[in-house]
Amino acid sequence: MTIKHQIEIDSVIILLLAAAAGFIVAYFVTHNTVQNKVSLPVVANFQDSNPTPNLIPTSTLIISVTPIPKPQVTSQLSPDGTKQLTMTVNTQSDQSKTYNFVTSNIDGTNLQTVYSINYPSNSDSMSIPFNTWSPDNNYVFITHTNPAGNEAIVLKADGSPIDVDASLNETVLFKAQNTADFYAETTGWASDTLLIINTKTTDGSQGTSYWFEVPTKAVIPLATQF
Amino acid sequence: MKRKKFPKKKKATSNIQFYLILVIIFLLSFAISYVLLKPHRNIPHCANSGSCKSDLYFKIENNVPGVFEGKKVYAPTINPQNEKPEKVLGIATPSAEKRIFVDLSTQTLIAYQGSTQILKTFVSTGKWQATPTGNFHIWEKLLSTRMTGGEGADAYDLPNVPYVMYFYNDFGLHGAYWHDNFGHPMSHGCVNLRQTDAKTLYDWADGPNGNTPGTEVSICDQITSDHQCIQNNPVQ
Repeated sequence: MTIKHQIEIDSVIILLLAAAAGFIVAYFVTHNTVQNKVSLPVVANFQDSNPTPNLIPTSTLIISVTPIPKPQVTSQLSPDGTKQLTMTVNTQSDQSKTYNFVTSNIDGTNLQTVYSINYPSNSDSMSIPFNTWSPDNNYVFITHTNPAGNEAIVLKADGSPIDVDASLNETVLFKAQNTADFYAETTGWASDTLLIINTKTTDGSQGTSYWFEVPTKAVIPLATQF
Repeated sequence: MKRKKFPKKKKATSNIQFYLILVIIFLLSFAISYVLLKPHRNIPHCANSGSCKSDLYFKIENNVPGVFEGKKVYAPTINPQNEKPEKVLGIATPSAEKRIFVDLSTQTLIAYQGSTQILKTFVSTGKWQATPTGNFHIWEKLLSTRMTGGEGADAYDLPNVPYVMYFYNDFGLHGAYWHDNFGHPMSHGCVNLRQTDAKTLYDWADGPNGNTPGTEVSICDQITSDHQCIQNNPVQ
C-alpha cells in the first residue's frame, strides 16, 4: 500500500466519520421531544363543615335487622339526549339478582321493557355501556359478564323481539369467520346498524376488529383496528 | 524558491476543499437523517380535506342524507329557533376562566370554569388523521355546518354537523350523529362529542369577542394523575 493510498483511505474514513456525526447529531435533535406541561385546575375537596350529628341516644336499644337492599338504578342517555336506557337491579334475600332494562323518553314517558333476567349468583353481572344506543336510537346493546368471559346483547329499543342471535361473543365470530381470534369487547356503533367488535389473539394482543351488521347478522372483518 | 512554494499553496487549497467536503457531508448526513428520523405526527392543514377550504361557515341542510364509511346517514333536523341555550348551574365563580382539556390517551374531555368541573365525557378524536396537540382558542362557533373529506371508501359528506367549535384551522369540537363509539378514536382529526354533550359545551363555551379570544382548548397526549396536561411536539 502506497502513502497515497493510505492518505485516500484516511480521507474516506474521515468523511464517513463526518457522515456518522451528522446522523448522530440528527438522532439526538429529533429524539429531543418538545414537551409542554399545562396544569389543570385542581378541584378543591369539599369539606363538610356541618357534620351529621349523632341522633342516637346512648340509652336507646338498637335492634339489628338485615337491611333490605335498595334497587340499584343506572341509566345512559342516547347520543342526542332524547332517550334513556335504565337498568334496575333488585337483589333478593337469597342474593340472586334480577336485572330489568327499560327504555324511555328523557321525560320518563313511553316506557318499554326491553330485557329482564335473573341470575342466581353474584358471578354474573350486567351493565349498560356508554355507547349503548345506536345513533338512530333504534337499538341498544348491553353487556353480560361472568367468569367465562363477556358478551354483548343487542336489543330493539322499542321492546319488539329481534330476529337475530342477539348475543355477540366468540360463538358468533367463530361461526361467521372461523377466526382464531377471541371476542374481547363491543365498543359501540360505527353507524345505525353496525356494531364494532374488538378481538384479542391467543397471546393477548389486539386482534382483528369486526363490524356486526344487526339486520343481516353479517360479521365483517376490518382492515383497521378499533 | 517559487517552485518549492507552489506545492504548498496547492496543498493548502486541497485541504480547504477537503474540509469543505467534510462539512458538506456532515450537513447532508444531518439533513437526510433529520428528515428520516423526525417523528411525524402527520398534522395536515385541514381535518376535512373537502370542506376545509370553502365551507367553514354556518349552513343548515335539513332532510339531506350524508355519507360516512360508505353508509348513508341521516342528519338531524336543525331549527335555529328551537335552539335555546342552556345555562350551566352551580358554578361557584361564574366569571372565572373557562378552559377545555382533551386527553387523547383516555379519549376524554373535561371542561372547567375556574376550579368547577362543568363537563367530563368520552369523545372520539383522530383515527384516520391525528388530532393536533397544543393550546388553542375557539376561533369560530357554528350551530351547524357541512363537513366533507376523505377519499375512496373513506370519503365522507356530512350535512348538519351540529355545535361546531373550531380551535385550529378546521379542527374543531363538534357533535357527531353518525356514530356512537365515543371513548375510541373515530374522527379525521376533530374532537367528536355526543350531540347532547356538544350542545352543553357549545352553550357554555365562548367564541372570540373583539380582542378577547374564545375559550382555551388544550389537547393533551395525556393527563397525568397529578393533573398535568402533557403535550408532545405541540403544534402551538
